[in-house]
Amino acid sequence: MPLFSHSDYLAILLSLKVAVVATLLSLPFGFAVAYLMTFRRFPGKVGLDVIVNLPLTLPPVVVGYFLLVLLGQHGLIGKWVLQPLGIKLIFTWKAAVVGTAVVGFPLMVRSIRTGMETIDRRLVEASRTLGAGWFDTVMTVIVPLSIRGIIAGSILMFARGLGEFGATIIVAGNIPGVTQTIPLAIYDYVSSPGGDAMAMALCLVSISISVVVLVFHEWLSRRMVRAD
Amino acid sequence: MELHVSAHKQLGTFSLDVDFTVEGDRIGIFGPSGGGKSTLVGLIAGLHHPDRGVVVIDGEPIFDRERGVNIPAEHRRIGMVFQRPHLFPHLSVKGNLLYGFKRCAHRYRKISLDSVVEVLQIDHLLHRGVRNLSGGERQRVAIGRAVLSNPRMLVMDEPLSGLDDNLKFQIIPFLKSVCETFTIPYLFISHSLTEMRIMTDRVLCVAGGRVEAQTTGEQLARDATGDHPSVYMNLIRLKGPRRIDDMCAYPWGEGELLISGASGDEEALFEVSSADIILFRRHPEAISARNLLQCRVSELFNTGGRIGVALDCGGERLVALVVRRAVEDLEIREGVEVYAAIKATAFRQLG
Amino acid sequence: MKKIIGSVFLVLIAFALFALPVRAGDLNVSAAMSLREAVTEFSNAFSAKNPGVKIQNNLAASGALAKQIENGAPADIYFSANVKWMDFLAEKGLVDRKNTVVVAYNAVVFVGKPDLKARTMQDLVKLEKIAVGSPRSVPAGDYAVQAMKKAGIEKQLEGRLVMAKDVRECLMYADRGEVTGAFVYKTDAEQMAKNVKILFVVPQELYPRVTYPLGMTAAGAKKPEAVAYFRFAQSAEGKKILAKHGFVVE
Repeated sequence: MPLFSHSDYLAILLSLKVAVVATLLSLPFGFAVAYLMTFRRFPGKVGLDVIVNLPLTLPPVVVGYFLLVLLGQHGLIGKWVLQPLGIKLIFTWKAAVVGTAVVGFPLMVRSIRTGMETIDRRLVEASRTLGAGWFDTVMTVIVPLSIRGIIAGSILMFARGLGEFGATIIVAGNIPGVTQTIPLAIYDYVSSPGGDAMAMALCLVSISISVVVLVFHEWLSRRMVRAD
Repeated sequence: MELHVSAHKQLGTFSLDVDFTVEGDRIGIFGPSGGGKSTLVGLIAGLHHPDRGVVVIDGEPIFDRERGVNIPAEHRRIGMVFQRPHLFPHLSVKGNLLYGFKRCAHRYRKISLDSVVEVLQIDHLLHRGVRNLSGGERQRVAIGRAVLSNPRMLVMDEPLSGLDDNLKFQIIPFLKSVCETFTIPYLFISHSLTEMRIMTDRVLCVAGGRVEAQTTGEQLARDATGDHPSVYMNLIRLKGPRRIDDMCAYPWGEGELLISGASGDEEALFEVSSADIILFRRHPEAISARNLLQCRVSELFNTGGRIGVALDCGGERLVALVVRRAVEDLEIREGVEVYAAIKATAFRQLG
Repeated sequence: MKKIIGSVFLVLIAFALFALPVRAGDLNVSAAMSLREAVTEFSNAFSAKNPGVKIQNNLAASGALAKQIENGAPADIYFSANVKWMDFLAEKGLVDRKNTVVVAYNAVVFVGKPDLKARTMQDLVKLEKIAVGSPRSVPAGDYAVQAMKKAGIEKQLEGRLVMAKDVRECLMYADRGEVTGAFVYKTDAEQMAKNVKILFVVPQELYPRVTYPLGMTAAGAKKPEAVAYFRFAQSAEGKKILAKHGFVVE
């Protein structure tokens, strides 16, 4: 088993870091969107649904390119928001986080929605008549009852984030130690004659992480069932 | 409490259009399913809003579209008990009970957990999860939860409809004692006439999205008109039985009522159909019916095409159902003395 | 409705199964990305002279191409940007050494915005981000990294090198301004650059000369079309095309 190089270890750590941060960042937004879609009626609801689900149907490369155009030097947000604030996103690990978050967002929203839709609507009415405002109701009734969906969504998003390649390579580039995640490192090795052994080694690392994550998810689900 | 609602709400093809004022602490809302009772009550509680109109409680407007008044449901202090308990599955019984209490401003906290738990007899359930409770226990917890939020008014939307008869008449005393003990005025919705008569003083009849009448449960029972002409049922509350053979004798009026098949509870509610009461102008000599009561006719009224004869028996009231012919033949008039015969087996214990 | 869906389904399956077969007389040319324009012109000129021969140009980083050929991808002609990958295939027996010949040379340059103050390799340590081909598969990147090592600046630039999948992608990054500068070939910069220009030529002593060997694979050697193409690329006309695009020819 060949030893990993310094940049390979960095790639593994970076993959974990990007996936975790992307998941944590998406949680509040994912929850908010899922809540709006499940419990509120408003004009343009269908439009929101389409936009949220779009990354799911588009090739990640397209999502990455779109983000590059939007956030880059000449992009709408890049030129008018990021540059004045001195924030550079393209080709940094933050861009990898953004790309991963956007691509995984629909998965999180779906999971949370599935959990939320099983909540008895009358509970919301009951909590209101008992004196809880909408925010109070969300925190004390809806969050606890949708925790399963939230966890499932987070884990799904984390796992997806570990494997994110298309959007990442476009918007964050392949910078060893900085934005080169496991999939990008594997791609690099795969393109190179003689790099097969390393590529396979990294693949095994990737698989191991996924197995750990899935086992953890199973265990967590079992625990929640028992707690009931 | 004085409740005034003047409102219109359109829901698809159904429209609710009401304008009424009602006073009292035990108000009923009676009517067929789909008639608008739940919608009306939802407007009062603040769960939906009228397209136009006002909702005023004790002179305080809680909704007025013209003036832009719309107190959100969580600030109206109107507790609700639904047909199903809808307890929070992620909280224990205690957690459920205290949910509203915790959100109640200190100055309104007159009712405490201990007193409610005592009245509803749910002490032993406090630390349990809500999933393993029986239907009756759940509904009692739901009632406790609503009461503990110290509301200015309780709205109960068919709280007994989901329960079987046995359970219903077990819960009714809890409901009544909770509201009496803590002096909470309530709106009680049901499509059951018996429940109306037991739980309410004034009744609003709601059908087709309109308030058709303001009356009492008793009057509704007597009118027995509408889609379901029913036979007037006498509701009698009795206490302090003694056993005679296999029957129970309860003191009533100036004598006793003998009832067969009673459970022998210290206090019980019975119903006996007006159609099961036979009237005699003269004392019949030998009769199988164990109850032969001497009464005076206090009133005659129309009920569903027949005649209801209201009787005064030593201070207590009974209604017998007879056909017009019988009234003519026996020359039954107000003030006349008659004997009412009721079989011991004609009584049905409700709770 | 079911009938319609059923028949559409069958038609789709038929299409999938009976895919059009590759015609004989097809030529597969795998060439380094930096040769894109030159090879396209080659192929067009060759096709004009030999109608009926369909040429498929496959352009990517030389290393990636070698990997593909190693894994059995069809290629009759292989045109690499360094000797390393050609030797690699020769060792594997996929290319006969006597069917290889060096036809052109190139140079590595550094490009950036015209007002950027970078004239030597040492100046580069001040820059934020530099695009370079991934050395494992892109010869241009390999050359550039060797030069950086020899110039002693490799360590300082750690974490600031954006790896591209081929030399044109480097140029694109620089052109868009997403990186401050990029290592590309002289030919790329002269041909394609819109917003950037050559800031300096990397001193030749820092890296081995950029050599373009042209080879005919073992499979290609059996095809008369491939042999003809091989000869054409070495002819005077072929050399003229290469020179036109900025390559140094023998």
